[in-house]
Amino acid sequence: MKIVAFVFCVFALSSQLNAQDDLLDLLDEPDKSEEPTYVTATFKGTKVINQQSCEIPGAGVMQFIILHRFGALNDDFVYNFFGLEQANTRFSFDYSFNDWLNVGLGRSSASKTYDGFIKAKLLRQSTGAKNMPISLVAYSSMNYNTTRWEDDLPHNESDRLSYSFQLVMARKFNDWLSLQLVPTMAHYNLVEYTASSNDVFGIGVGGRIKLTQRVAITGEYTFQLNPNEYELNGELTPYKNSASIGVDVETGGHVFQLHLTNSRGMADPQWIGMTPGSWGNGDIYLGFNISRVFTLKKPKTAEEPQW
Amino acid sequence: MLIAGSISAQKFMTREGYIKFFGSTPMENIEAVSSQASSVIDASNNAVVFQVLLNSFTFEKALMQEHFNENYVESEKYPKAVFKGNIVDKVEYSKPGTYKVTLKGTMSLHGVDKAVTTPATLIVEKGTIKLAAEFQMIPEDYNIAIPGAVREKIAKQMDVTVKCSYQEVK
Repeated sequence: MKIVAFVFCVFALSSQLNAQDDLLDLLDEPDKSEEPTYVTATFKGTKVINQQSCEIPGAGVMQFIILHRFGALNDDFVYNFFGLEQANTRFSFDYSFNDWLNVGLGRSSASKTYDGFIKAKLLRQSTGAKNMPISLVAYSSMNYNTTRWEDDLPHNESDRLSYSFQLVMARKFNDWLSLQLVPTMAHYNLVEYTASSNDVFGIGVGGRIKLTQRVAITGEYTFQLNPNEYELNGELTPYKNSASIGVDVETGGHVFQLHLTNSRGMADPQWIGMTPGSWGNGDIYLGFNISRVFTLKKPKTAEEPQW
Repeated sequence: MLIAGSISAQKFMTREGYIKFFGSTPMENIEAVSSQASSVIDASNNAVVFQVLLNSFTFEKALMQEHFNENYVESEKYPKAVFKGNIVDKVEYSKPGTYKVTLKGTMSLHGVDKAVTTPATLIVEKGTIKLAAEFQMIPEDYNIAIPGAVREKIAKQMDVTVKCSYQEVK
């Protein structure tokens, strides 16, 4: 009888302890099949460095990015105050109409280039109800060079235009490692030599390693399949592949990206297919991108029940 | 008898519970809302559970929401906030009325369990229950570190509002 009472007590006690867990099980059951869990923050910035990342700002958010590339490390570096005396600059504004479409305008000092760009999220990496291994983002820019012609040749206005395309295939492998593969193309309406190709194709890779919640190391490399040539010391030599490494630091509404790169031009066709600088020769530029976001349209939040 | 009793026990459930948290500093207000909290009340033993997916909270600023998930609560690692507890006062679930009660239990967030006690209001109607509670949470209690650079912008204490409307589970 005592044993029965003891067993009964244990059972009663354990059922009391488990009461909440049983209730949680009740909540869990259909939960799993509902919405997919989308992966967020694959990268901190919408650019890795020069390359597009798979990110766009949130719906209704305007982003302002200011970018600088200072003088080369091998160009009388100390005399030129560590290259800081001279800078190529770019600034851009972009706006996300919803959670997948972003458009923007920019202006780069190199070749006094204006550009317009469009970026669309086609697939979002997710788990749960829908398992999608990667995020897929398409990006294109149109660039308009406004420097005065220095030759006496007749030019069409369309000679000033160049374009770029980047298809970003990104995956956040875990909370510290994100990598992306970026088939890239630049199209130039006007090229320097008759032998030059109007279309330069490339394969880019980019990635980030998160060190802390707010600091990450980034890197990117874009390999050109058919680089055009430029003149260096009287000889034709292929344009270099753009390679950059950097650090992302995030503080509230800003992302600071500091980097070293061999590409000084920041408009897409400039860094993709017209990078004369070589890491080996010390044509390395210190640069930064600083972004600031402004929420223009607040997202809808659920109303508090009135009772 | 006991088993039979617990199976036929009345349970009340919602999957559309409203949870808001709000923190204010002179620099910035932070407000986030989810209407996807789920909760069950077991009328037979006064047991109550709540759970909410942290990525279901919507903020006024998209970047705040990203930082909340990525840097503060780390929702990929710890997807849910869970409360397991009891209504410590006697409630007659068959008798419509408003009951001032106390909820007592354990809050689990960001891998940390913490004992929580809060007053709550229970409104019993026919076939439904409404529950409203307001309490404070301190992010640091849950090992949610706020770095110096943004300390001025993030309140030390968040005011949490819970409003759930339950239907009887048939």
